[in-house]
Amino acid sequence: MRENKILLIEDNSDDEELTLRALKKGQFSATVDVVRDGAEALDYLFCRGTYAKRNSKDLPRFAFLDLKLPKIDGLEVLKQIRANPATIYLPVVVFTSSQESRDINAAYSYGANSYIVKPVDTTQFTDAIKQVGQYWLTFNEKL
Amino acid sequence: MKSLTSLFSASGFMPHGHCYLWNGPLVWTMVSSDFLIGLAYASISICLYLLVRRIKLPFSGMFLAFGLFIAACGLTHFMEIYTLWIPAYWVSAFVKIVTAVASVMTAIWLFPLMKRIMRLACEVKVSDERRVMLEDLTSKLRAKTVSLEAVNQELEAFCHSVSHDLRAPLRSMMGFSNSVLDDFGDKLEPQARADINRVINAAKKMGDLVDGLLNLSKLTRGDILNVPVNLSQLVSGIATDLQATAPQRQVSFVIEDDLIVRGDPHLLQAALVNLLTNAWKFTGKTENARIEFGKKDEDKAFVYFVKDNGVGFDMQFSNKLFGTFQRLHPEREFPGTGIGLATVQRIIKRHGGEVWAHARVSEGATFYFTI
Repeated sequence: MRENKILLIEDNSDDEELTLRALKKGQFSATVDVVRDGAEALDYLFCRGTYAKRNSKDLPRFAFLDLKLPKIDGLEVLKQIRANPATIYLPVVVFTSSQESRDINAAYSYGANSYIVKPVDTTQFTDAIKQVGQYWLTFNEKL
Repeated sequence: MKSLTSLFSASGFMPHGHCYLWNGPLVWTMVSSDFLIGLAYASISICLYLLVRRIKLPFSGMFLAFGLFIAACGLTHFMEIYTLWIPAYWVSAFVKIVTAVASVMTAIWLFPLMKRIMRLACEVKVSDERRVMLEDLTSKLRAKTVSLEAVNQELEAFCHSVSHDLRAPLRSMMGFSNSVLDDFGDKLEPQARADINRVINAAKKMGDLVDGLLNLSKLTRGDILNVPVNLSQLVSGIATDLQATAPQRQVSFVIEDDLIVRGDPHLLQAALVNLLTNAWKFTGKTENARIEFGKKDEDKAFVYFVKDNGVGFDMQFSNKLFGTFQRLHPEREFPGTGIGLATVQRIIKRHGGEVWAHARVSEGATFYFTI
């Protein structure tokens, strides 16, 4: 059976580390691939550039998407994911510090599956990630 | 008595043309000039009449007299043409008398009116100056509005970035401090663990402050609605929510019904939540806690109040009550950021009202506001 993969699109190394530790605590049988800017995220998903050799059928089960990304902004990445038939159904969980309603509205209008504000409190942060992981890996049916 | 027809007859006078020796060019010059003058006067007097009728000019009586005088003048010129051939000089004289009377009347009427006319001209000038000043003020106001809108936009951008940028490092501070405790806690001295806990709590506190500030600024940006709001209903809802947070607490709420004001429901809800949460919090140590909401009639204005019988505060510090982050009680006794009342004040001020408080230590506090 193909291994479960989670894609973490995050530019902040502290948040990256905390997310990885939280996912480890969830003890999911999944590997996590990390990309650190919008351009790298699209290269990964569309199998081009440094990721040209990646198997295009090997999509992650879901992706955590931060909104503030260098090179290509998170919302733009989301737009392109939904525009490409290869990735149109990829579950995307927007995971960001921003609580601004204009960001929330924009994310949903571009097709985010869910929008989660990164909690400052560590326990809440870990809980959020564990629950998201469990939902998309365990409960949600794979396409 | 000469009849009208005999007036028009020659009566032995010579036609005026004889004076000109019937010199062709001279006669026709006179005729054409008199004709044109007569026509012009007729047209001017018709215009004056129409003006007076349509526009209702001031001094319309004088204008009408003037118009009559011009019409009569015109008629004298037409008579000059007539008498060139038909010497009806008595008719001509009659027309001239009418003209004389009209001219003299106009002249006499005009003199006393000069003062009024000059005053009117002055008023027009003043009103024009005022208009110019008003236009100037309006354009200044417009410029000010544009710059205020720019400031508002900057504020929004600032809040947006605070939203992102301040929270992330706080998260890191808390996250990695917790990691140290989780992974190495058992290897640490109790003092070390306590110190790291202080770091974690400080980060948590800062998170609350950032949230409080963001909410405060969010509440006071944007347009404010002006619709009927049932304060009594809002308070009842908040009371129910508060009771649900601690069902074991016995607090009696006394809420006056049907208190309706005009304002922004969202903002007023936030203000009442703050006031009632404070009342709830500061009656935490009071047996038989009682929280009241109602209205007082005071000098034509309605004053609304939230009253509690909790721990109260010392009135000598009351001027600090509404300051941002100001607290009158120690954090460990009554937790809080100190931003709730600053929020209430800002909301009430935006509604054009005032908020103030009276209290006695250990006897409770009453917060009053007008809208």
